[in-house]
Amino acid sequence: MISYSRDSRDSHDSHDFIPASSVKIIGLGGAGANMLERIALDSMEGAELLALNTDIRTLASCLAKDKIQLGVNLTKGLGTGGDPELGQQAMLEAENAVRAALVGQRIVFLCAGLGGGTGSGAAPIVARIAREEGAFVVVFATMPFFFEGRRRREQAETSLNQLTVLSNALVTFDNNRMGELVLAKQGIHEAFGAADRMISESIKAVIRLVIRPGLINVGLDDLMSALRTTRSRCLFGSGIADGKDRASKALRNALSSPLLDQGALLKEAQTVLVHLCGGESLTLFEIELLMGSLQKHVPETAHVLFGAAIDPAMGENLSITLISALPEDSLSVGGSALTNQIPEPPVKTESEEPAILVIEPAFQEIERNTEAPISIETIIPEQPPEEVSSAADGSENHPDTLAETIVRSGPNPEIGIQPTALFQQREQDELSQSQPETPKKEDRPFAEFSTIQPSLDNIPELDLPENSSHSTFISGDQLKNRAPDKPLWGKSGPPSKVESEDSELSEKNITPPSPPARKAPATQLKLDPKFPSPQSELPFDNAPKGRFEGENPNVFDGEDLDLPPFLRKKKS
Amino acid sequence: MARRTKIHVGLEIGTSKTCIVVGEVKPDSAVKILGIGVTKSAGVRKGGISDFVQARACLKDALAKAEDASDVEIGSVYLSVTGAHMQGVNNRGTFRLPDNQPNILPEHLTEVCNIARDVHYPQDHVCLHTIIRKYLVDGLEQSASPIGLFAKTVEADFHVVHGIGNRIQNSIKLVRECPMEVDDIVFAPIATAQMALDREQRLRGALLIDIGGGTTDYVLYLDGAIAASGCIPVGGDHVTNDIHLVTGLPFSKAEKLKILEGNASSDPALSVGYAKLTDESGFADVEVKRAILNEVIRQRLEETLKLVHERLPKGAVENIGAGVFLTGGTSLMNGFSELAFDVFGRDIYRPENSSNPDSDHPSYRDPRYATAIGLIRYAQILETENTKPPGCLGKLFRLFWPFGR
Repeated sequence: MISYSRDSRDSHDSHDFIPASSVKIIGLGGAGANMLERIALDSMEGAELLALNTDIRTLASCLAKDKIQLGVNLTKGLGTGGDPELGQQAMLEAENAVRAALVGQRIVFLCAGLGGGTGSGAAPIVARIAREEGAFVVVFATMPFFFEGRRRREQAETSLNQLTVLSNALVTFDNNRMGELVLAKQGIHEAFGAADRMISESIKAVIRLVIRPGLINVGLDDLMSALRTTRSRCLFGSGIADGKDRASKALRNALSSPLLDQGALLKEAQTVLVHLCGGESLTLFEIELLMGSLQKHVPETAHVLFGAAIDPAMGENLSITLISALPEDSLSVGGSALTNQIPEPPVKTESEEPAILVIEPAFQEIERNTEAPISIETIIPEQPPEEVSSAADGSENHPDTLAETIVRSGPNPEIGIQPTALFQQREQDELSQSQPETPKKEDRPFAEFSTIQPSLDNIPELDLPENSSHSTFISGDQLKNRAPDKPLWGKSGPPSKVESEDSELSEKNITPPSPPARKAPATQLKLDPKFPSPQSELPFDNAPKGRFEGENPNVFDGEDLDLPPFLRKKKS
Repeated sequence: MARRTKIHVGLEIGTSKTCIVVGEVKPDSAVKILGIGVTKSAGVRKGGISDFVQARACLKDALAKAEDASDVEIGSVYLSVTGAHMQGVNNRGTFRLPDNQPNILPEHLTEVCNIARDVHYPQDHVCLHTIIRKYLVDGLEQSASPIGLFAKTVEADFHVVHGIGNRIQNSIKLVRECPMEVDDIVFAPIATAQMALDREQRLRGALLIDIGGGTTDYVLYLDGAIAASGCIPVGGDHVTNDIHLVTGLPFSKAEKLKILEGNASSDPALSVGYAKLTDESGFADVEVKRAILNEVIRQRLEETLKLVHERLPKGAVENIGAGVFLTGGTSLMNGFSELAFDVFGRDIYRPENSSNPDSDHPSYRDPRYATAIGLIRYAQILETENTKPPGCLGKLFRLFWPFGR
């Protein structure tokens, strides 16, 4: 994808599109850091990552290129201990640095886990700063679990109320609904991973749509008009398919997003933004077909903002992204509050049924990469805010360098444990044990880091061998996870080798660092709902089941109880 | 004590049969069965309703039969529910008394109970029962109410049964459409236990396993309190289905073969030769090797019992003093107690195979009605608990009241 984007940048310079350097993704607090990590792992193209946290340990281990520590004097590198007041003050302390980092940004995505100190306290302020700097602010917020108690819930709600007013768009995801993302049997890390992925997925969809210029372009203005409903809930769906029937399949996949409720919710939408992206084989007929069947789901009076783009990296795939918004009161199940910034009293409606963006269980199935080394010694460059602009410039001129940087700064202790990371965030103390380096960092002044940073950026050779090997590990793992998508493998060249090696080597992967260009198509694949959700529920074998034929499998401890034990045991 | 005769109705919508039992609770708390209405169920799979219309027709039929037999107009029922979604969990709530408050007040107890009841279950689940198991005062067990005792902390152990709300709602809807009211919903094995286990057995520790047509429900009592309960979606239907799948016989024949010839014990002496079914004319119709037939049955039932065993708390089976009580239609399978003994290693109690299944005199002890009759017992207990003891005036009044007590 990166190679593509380079092309697109060259060829579309004349178009009015948003340069990558003006999109920033901010991860705020521990939960935000985890989301950021997922985004970094997906090697998001065309956006810069910025981590903000009070806790220096979490911050040090974060993948983001830019990092700003909040409350250097106030919390002294510790967390806020769940106190939003403290988070707020810490944020105010670092306000100038954050403002400097946000200068000139067109779109700012703010990812935060509400309920804690840093997330709840600082998020409204970050949103305000970003707005003041003239950015379009989209907030992705997770709400705490019920079991975290009423106090945290209230903190989260308070913060959410403020964000409703301050942000352009607000998407909330309730942790309590996390169970719907994964099967009951799957581990907690997968549940958290799925939530992070979902958020990463939606951010990517928006970025892709806004950044990548298309044949029929849709831009930020279209996005804003699609979301221009007061106190609304975001409808979001995205699907990929290939093969003969890919147009209708992709649409079906997109509509299967829980946020769309099988397309039923689109019935009331006023404005729907549809973005198609396909390989060079995308035909007008397909587009017609797809839009025709989409018409059945949207009201005739709806304003359909249509965009299409050709991305050679898509190969035989066709992807469709639907974005719309519904007024919250028109929904029986109150959902993600996606709210355009409108001067409205912040009366937060109870968001019991929070946003669930695209959920693709199939790909959760694939994503099984959880075991990885936890304690890896790395030098993670702390980047001072002053560095930001220069780095941004550099990346614009040399997209390769930017990508390289993302990958390089990747190897850090949190990578391996990313899926569980959200969980770990709650136990930061434990986390700290896996990072022997961090205390040192606390003592060092920022200036020191800024001297290290450029060298790392520009001279990859400086990287410790260990680092690079781990970065390969990660990218290889990423690739492996998406291995099932064959068509794109063809495009991405050698990674099949990486995959095989990776499976054997696991931890001690010594394959040469895979170029970031290879990672990019993988990002595309992530969207891939080509393996529909029932995959995980397929019967263990196709044995006839007599009178229980066609029923939901009755699986206990990995055995389908509807099959005779007599036959099952004989086989094994 | 209930002071006057009261009529309760128990309804069990089982996988194989829908059963309504009308019972009369006498003032001396004896239960008299007035009538039973039973129909074969249709549209019920593994304890859950799969075909609403059919299930409703069956229920109406059973209702008519029960009203006929008992000569009572049935307005409301106690309903038993089951299904794989039902789960029983134990939870302990701890409450630390305020510093200036040395002994336990009723409000402290309410608080600790609320804490203990507050089990985290999936959002689509609803809580069906919260049953107090015991109180602990500063870590010491206290079976009776600890109100008034001196303590630093008071803890309560609760057993909470929860299940998917919508499925339970659908069962209620089915009953309402008949139309009858639902007095209360009871998790099936808990109802069955009211009937099948007496107080002493519960105190000594007893495991009740109700193997019905589509589900196997179990409830474990230790020290007089519920220690575990749950449901495994396997039952007699699965045995028949297994025979069908392995031998290729049609369901009706497989069912017949299972009942007449099947044996679940692993006794090799019983697995010699062929099991034969004869048709009306007396000719041999079906021939199956006994070794295969018995093995199919045994493996299925053994697996089911082992699943139950696995789901009991660790070390619980060793604490079962009274034994394992089997009930439900499938427990009538030949050789089943031997198999159960192999799995649990405890005394096995099995209901008598009632000699005449079509008897007009429904027996108390008939395992097929255990759940529905248990519901009546449950209703009676509920009634007793809810009846407030008469106040001073009431007692005085009753001294002079010539009729009854």
